[in-house]
Amino acid sequence: MAGKSSVAAIYFAILGIVTTAFGIADILVTAGASEFAYGILEIPGDLFRGGWGGVIVLFAGLFYLSGIRNFNEIHQFSKIVMGSILIWIMAGCDIFAMITESIPSWEEETGPWFNTLSDFIAAYAPPYAPAVLLLPFSLVVVYYIRKRKQEI
Amino acid sequence: MKLTIDQRWDLIDKIAKQTITFGEYRHTLKDAIGEFTVKPLTGIPIAIAVMYAFWSIFGSFAGFFTDGFFVRLFDAYWLPWLQEVFPGQGGWLYTIMVDAGGIEGGEFVLSDNCLESFGVLTSGLFVAIGVVLPAIVIFYLMLALLEDIGYMPRLAVLIDTMLHKIGLHGYAIVPTILSLGCNVPGVTATRILETKKQRFIMMTLLAIFIPCGAQIGIMQDVIPGLMGWILLYLIIGYFIFGYILNKIVPGKAPEFLIDVPPYRRPMLSNIAKKVWGRIAGFFKVAIPFVLLGAAIVGVLYQIGVIRFLGDALAPVFVGWFGVPKETAGPLIAAFLRKDLAVAQLSVIEMTEYQMITAVVLVSIYFPCVATFAMMLKEGWKELLGAMAVLAVVVFAYGGLIHLIGILLGVA
Repeated sequence: MAGKSSVAAIYFAILGIVTTAFGIADILVTAGASEFAYGILEIPGDLFRGGWGGVIVLFAGLFYLSGIRNFNEIHQFSKIVMGSILIWIMAGCDIFAMITESIPSWEEETGPWFNTLSDFIAAYAPPYAPAVLLLPFSLVVVYYIRKRKQEI
Repeated sequence: MKLTIDQRWDLIDKIAKQTITFGEYRHTLKDAIGEFTVKPLTGIPIAIAVMYAFWSIFGSFAGFFTDGFFVRLFDAYWLPWLQEVFPGQGGWLYTIMVDAGGIEGGEFVLSDNCLESFGVLTSGLFVAIGVVLPAIVIFYLMLALLEDIGYMPRLAVLIDTMLHKIGLHGYAIVPTILSLGCNVPGVTATRILETKKQRFIMMTLLAIFIPCGAQIGIMQDVIPGLMGWILLYLIIGYFIFGYILNKIVPGKAPEFLIDVPPYRRPMLSNIAKKVWGRIAGFFKVAIPFVLLGAAIVGVLYQIGVIRFLGDALAPVFVGWFGVPKETAGPLIAAFLRKDLAVAQLSVIEMTEYQMITAVVLVSIYFPCVATFAMMLKEGWKELLGAMAVLAVVVFAYGGLIHLIGILLGVA
């Protein structure tokens, strides 16, 4: 049990460091008033997604890092869960924005009302914001929530 | 049979043993998260994230319907069709109902979009259905979700200390957030505050500093890049003038006790009922005012009242507030429709800072007619007091924003 929880603590420590780094990067890119893209990663440079969103990603990272010590204690574990919830909020908003942008054609006067299938699919292609990239890794916490329930 | 006191206690013990189960209380994950959301150190980051989600989803949803479909529906189909079939092009009825147009080279020129046509059936309907309705639907849906999950009481606890500085308490967040949808239910919701002083402060701050869903929707549509600055100025004004009002308005601002419920899974039927009730209320109260407001603005423009007032007040607008002379008309018309006034301002040439100042002025300048009527219903003394505060705030805060612009070199 102790071994398993230490694996979890290491996992969330690494996730916390990466998340914190992404949050700081978000804020720095916004402060520089530019966008940053590298491979599948894109850091938005606008004040809303990059600035406000960056602060939330940073908080998520800090929640992860503050929850790793004594991981099995419920209050510590709930900090890890809250870190993941913040990532879900950010990624959920980004994905919802992608969905709403992918459906209409955005033509002003003529042409079809809805996007073509290829443009619709292309709207979901990378690059992605940091929170979307962190999303699958943050979902690991669901496994630990279920495990904790089973133990009770 | 009469029992002695000891026999009664024995009986109570027996009943308690048979009916009450004792066990060790285990703190659940839900409990722990619930605790963290009311503690400032952990609760504020969560509140920041919740507000982010609120505005992000609001923007995406409203943009999807307004820019994705309604703009095209109204500008490419509805407006040209009405311009063609409505009789008496250039006449006063045509101007009020369909298109105020413009004069180029001595000839009447039709508008090419519903934001510039200023007709009841074009701008009025576009604003009411194309812009405000999607904004209101998503706003009330999200609010109902937050209420049903159990987050709103936690937000009230979290913000209580800050709101005490302006003479209110945590529950003042309810009318404040409701007003972001429509000021009318916001004014009604001030009744949850206990004292006259609190209700007066809240009502005044709502009328001045909280933009309604219609205005936010149109700002999101026509000046999305400046919205953050405008809201920031309004939030700062909300707290500065709240603090001053708390110092000068006599009366008490008591503490509040609140039973914070546990987090719960929201019930679809509950949410549907709440959202429908609020949207129906909005349709009954606000939509007629949008259309009536558009008609009255059209008539006032036609008979030259707004131009006259605009010319008369232009020195104040230009000299004191630092906005162009052309903004005087929309700022005066803002009494009837703030959303239409923002739309009118968006087509006037000015610097970004002047646009921020002008839109902030539209927000703080006067409550819309519907809010005005609701405030009157709450009491004429409160209304008069609020209007007096409003007049001072408009001149003081409008001038201050201009001064900040001068100091920053952007005005």
